[in-house]
Amino acid sequence: MTSLSADEPSDTSVDRGSESRSVIAVWAFLSVITLVSWQLSPGSRDATSAVGDGLVAGIVALGAIKTTLIIRYFMEVRFAPRWLTVVTTTWVGLVWSTLLGVYLYR
Amino acid sequence: MNVDTSDVAAPPAIAPARRRLPGDGHMWVMIIGDLFIFGVYFVTYMVFRAMSRDSFVRSQHHLNNTVGVVNTLIMLTSSMAIALAAIAARERRLRSAQRLVWVTGALGGLFVLVKVFEWHEQIRNGHTVSDQFYSFYYVFTGVHLVHLLLGLIILGVVIRELRNPRKQRASIVEQGAIYWHMVDALWIVIFAILYLMR
Repeated sequence: MTSLSADEPSDTSVDRGSESRSVIAVWAFLSVITLVSWQLSPGSRDATSAVGDGLVAGIVALGAIKTTLIIRYFMEVRFAPRWLTVVTTTWVGLVWSTLLGVYLYR
Repeated sequence: MNVDTSDVAAPPAIAPARRRLPGDGHMWVMIIGDLFIFGVYFVTYMVFRAMSRDSFVRSQHHLNNTVGVVNTLIMLTSSMAIALAAIAARERRLRSAQRLVWVTGALGGLFVLVKVFEWHEQIRNGHTVSDQFYSFYYVFTGVHLVHLLLGLIILGVVIRELRNPRKQRASIVEQGAIYWHMVDALWIVIFAILYLMR
């Protein structure tokens, strides 16, 4: 498995700005879907009833997308060895699917 | 993004064009362990919630979603700043990297202030650990806050590294960054289960 250190010089060239642009684009997308989840949730407008199952599934899907983007783009796991991608993807899948499953269980 | 050329010198940039581990293995062991421990705790909360659904829903409605959203946006922005700092450090734009780490720390401090304000409001309104939902709420947000405070200390180490001309290792900035992102990712789950999944 090839593993480089950030302190080692590299012989590969890269469009340096593209990494920063990706991070900023991901941040903008994450912020937008945070606001969307906020708007989807009833907040304190309806102080008694629970959120519908479909809405919760949407909130879980957006949460899974957010954590995946943070791990892949901010933590740079998209450039990491395969095992790290497998472990982090497993965590995201396990946590969010179990949370949704328990929520929906009656 | 402004690119200051004053500190563009020294070693050539390292680009993650080949697969490599950001930070180092020890930090990843800690992060993966933390993620799975929190994961078990998240599921435990959801099981307790399923057993007392109505009571949890009533208590959850006392939380202010807007405060949760504000803290989420603060956390996401701080994560962007430290991610850009790691890129800048690899590109040897060390002054930019330092500024971005300071921005990250300032946003972390702002997150703490908002959280303290929220706790103050909740306690003032009588929502304490005597309520089962609130006992989870205080433990989740409290343990998360401890992680964030540790993150602020780690950012201090990163700043110290960047200010030392004999060191300035990009790998140390990456270590701080991946830890900070873990704190961000955990907050995303906490925000969803406490504030949104009512």
